[in-house]
Amino acid sequence: MLAYLILSGITTGALYALIALGITILYKAAGTVNFAHGELFMMGGFLAYTFVTMLGMPYLLGLALAIAGAFVFGMVTDRIAFRPLIGSRALGVVLATVGFAFILRGAARILWGGKGDYLALPPLFAPDPIIWGPLIILPQQLVVIGGTAIVLTLFAAFFRLTRLGKMMQATADNAKAARLVGIRIEHIYTLSFGIGAAVAAVSAVLMAPLTLLYTDMGFALFVKGFAAAALGGLKSLPGAVIGGLLVGLIESLAAGYIASSFLDISAFVVIMVVLVFCPSGLLGGPAARRV
Amino acid sequence: MTAVLEVDHVTVAFGGVNALDDVELAVGEAEIHGVIGPNGAGKTTLLNVICGLAKCSSGQVRLMGTDITGRKPSDIARQGLGRTFQTSQLFQGMTVLENLVCGLHRRTKAGLLAAAFRTAAARLEEERTIEAARKALEFVGMEQFRDRPATMLSFGQQRVVEIARTLMAEPAIVLLDEPAVGLSLNRIAELDLLLRRIRDERGVTLVMIEHVIRLVMGVCDQVTVLSGGVRIAQGTPDAVRDDPDVITAYLGKELHARSDRA
Amino acid sequence: MFSAVLATLPPWLVGRRTLGYAALVAMIVLPLTANPYWLFVGNTLLIYVILATGLNLLVGFAGQLAFANAAMFGIGAYGTGLTQVDFGFPFFLAAPCGTVLAVGFGTILAFPALRLSGLYLGLATLAFAQIAQWVFMHWETVTFGAGGFKVPPVSFAPLPISDAKGLYYLTLLIAVVVVLLAANIVRSRIGRAFVAIRDGAVAAESIGIDLLRYKALAFGLSGLTAGIAGALYSGLLNFVAPESFDLFQMMMQKAMIVVGGLGSIAGSVIGATLLTLVLEALRGVKSWQEIAFGALLLGFVILVPNGLADFLRRHVPGWREPLIHPAFSGDIDATTTEPVPAPALPQIGAIGAEAITPAAPLLEGAARQ
Repeated sequence: MLAYLILSGITTGALYALIALGITILYKAAGTVNFAHGELFMMGGFLAYTFVTMLGMPYLLGLALAIAGAFVFGMVTDRIAFRPLIGSRALGVVLATVGFAFILRGAARILWGGKGDYLALPPLFAPDPIIWGPLIILPQQLVVIGGTAIVLTLFAAFFRLTRLGKMMQATADNAKAARLVGIRIEHIYTLSFGIGAAVAAVSAVLMAPLTLLYTDMGFALFVKGFAAAALGGLKSLPGAVIGGLLVGLIESLAAGYIASSFLDISAFVVIMVVLVFCPSGLLGGPAARRV
Repeated sequence: MTAVLEVDHVTVAFGGVNALDDVELAVGEAEIHGVIGPNGAGKTTLLNVICGLAKCSSGQVRLMGTDITGRKPSDIARQGLGRTFQTSQLFQGMTVLENLVCGLHRRTKAGLLAAAFRTAAARLEEERTIEAARKALEFVGMEQFRDRPATMLSFGQQRVVEIARTLMAEPAIVLLDEPAVGLSLNRIAELDLLLRRIRDERGVTLVMIEHVIRLVMGVCDQVTVLSGGVRIAQGTPDAVRDDPDVITAYLGKELHARSDRA
Repeated sequence: MFSAVLATLPPWLVGRRTLGYAALVAMIVLPLTANPYWLFVGNTLLIYVILATGLNLLVGFAGQLAFANAAMFGIGAYGTGLTQVDFGFPFFLAAPCGTVLAVGFGTILAFPALRLSGLYLGLATLAFAQIAQWVFMHWETVTFGAGGFKVPPVSFAPLPISDAKGLYYLTLLIAVVVVLLAANIVRSRIGRAFVAIRDGAVAAESIGIDLLRYKALAFGLSGLTAGIAGALYSGLLNFVAPESFDLFQMMMQKAMIVVGGLGSIAGSVIGATLLTLVLEALRGVKSWQEIAFGALLLGFVILVPNGLADFLRRHVPGWREPLIHPAFSGDIDATTTEPVPAPALPQIGAIGAEAITPAAPLLEGAARQ
């Protein structure tokens, strides 16, 4: 039982880790959280559904297109909900992205059917479960965990080794100085929004075969992903992953040992408790204002 | 003469580094006290500790004899301490007058019910506050900016209004964090005059972090020099200017040797 | 051109107060001429006026990024409904119970608000909202679960008035009281303390404003209005269910105060009125509601950030607002020392349409909180 709960917890944890990763990448680069992140996740999933199931494209091509599509949506979010607001309070960006989130949600509802319609995406490999000792593992779960590990490694390499990654880090550290050395910080922001959305879409396409797609899925997952990122301190990529895994495990264990309906809120209870006692998250937090 | 402000062996430790190391300071009544030193010397940390925005690891801060170490900033403010900041902290959603009226917050007492029902007492208090704010604006010579939104002032003007705001509640002492930064020579001369008037006409003690040496030398009665968290000199501006440790701290050892010969 | 036309009219005709009186008269007269549907819409509108006013105090004036407004609304409704259904309280006893419950939870949220920076406060209140929604949905033994429960209609028995009209006038009375009291509060030192906390919490502390006390007050007041609104809403619908207090509700209320004007009581009234009408126009089509409200919220934040109240203030000669409210231009990146240039100001007359140009020049770097 425990082994099953842990496996399940790690699987959803990997999912949350990817969402948290997308949120953290954007926060590091642009100093803000995209409240439409959950809806971008949802769009990624539905785009995959459109390409793979509705249009019958080859699986991996469909996934790749979905991720690219989400990337574009992310860039759109930047252009209309962030760039006009550079320099003003966080409240403005938050409200703008919330508004955009609902536009996306409404549009998705129109395009792909209403609440209560749950759509299925076929998994990457055949759905026959693997038996390993007392555990029954679905191949897709391994895909999720493996996919997360790959994405994390890619990003670590990206930030450390590529020029673009270093430019993003520079912008995150000190936007003014970055501009002075010739980095086009507006482009960096757009890119960061796009990358964040793409990572969310990866999460969606990995997860969709295990759970189902529905238009309201975005916000609850966003809050959990935000919570996971906050646990990791919002500025640390490994922290986001650890946060995500923690949230997944806590959920799974709470559902298993307390009550199955607790699955939904255990993450929220935990994050509220953590924030009350450690206002800066477990591993650090948003930068304090200097006066 | 009792000191208005006493900083008693204050140390602020961050990990392995001491932002402030056993710093001592005593400021008397109606004194303008400058705090200078190279960047990173701990000057702003000192101000933050005094006004309650930062905690010290050891030592004591006393305001007119009362121990204020580690208390909340709003409590310390109520004990008679005011402060300005390096970046303009005027409330952007208000006019100049409204900003000043805010300055009197801790001396007014209209509560929720009085405010909601606009009792006669609340209205009277409001009128008195507005009157006091007008007088404060006259004192600093900015009456014509009364109804201007705070966002539409120049940098120097914002500074002056901020200083006026701290004076509203008649504090015993005001901490000023680099009041002259970004000001032109003319404005610095005006600031010099204003600071003197605050000291002479209002009897307010001023503790001032500053990099503009011209202003420090001109207006301060006493100067404390910090470097690397340690107090390296204290005395009148002239005494401090010629102090070899101070010269070394600012210019480095080789130049110290050169200035010796000069 | 619009302002030129208005400038020819005498100020008392188009001022804020005049419009307020006109609206009040219209709302008093409404039940006498309207059919039950429009009575219902009018009643809903007044409930949202109450909600928006309190929410604006918290978000617009005090600048707190709080997402718990729909949860408070729900707590007020559930508290009222459940005390009626479980204990048999009459509405006029149950409503205060629900309200007190909402105020309590609202005030408790002030404690994390003290220590958390803006984004984290948003997260904490979002988490709270999700928990509240879950409790409404899943604690079936108490809250009757996802299906909701019926509440007896509010009776005005000895008075010679129908239930629907009675509730309407009660709501109207409460709305007028709430708006007037809120307008007084924002013109007082309490309102200034709120704006001070929004625009510079550190400086506010340094002039003696106790952050905890005033944040608790802001949260408490918005909890109060949400609780009252929730109580009235349960009476209006005779039904309480979780779906009325979901994320869309939260976003819709935010849209109301953004469209009307953050930091303006008149704006709260205007925004609530307009957006209730939009809601009714799009009734039944959830997806279009989401798009419309999302677009309004996004559009106004980008294009008219200070809302309609500010637009009116700038173009209508008689319109005065107590606190100028550039609600989004407060927090300047602290690492710059660029001086703010002194712009040339137009003449400020006694009854001035003051053309306020946008605040500080756009500074590099993203908003940090």
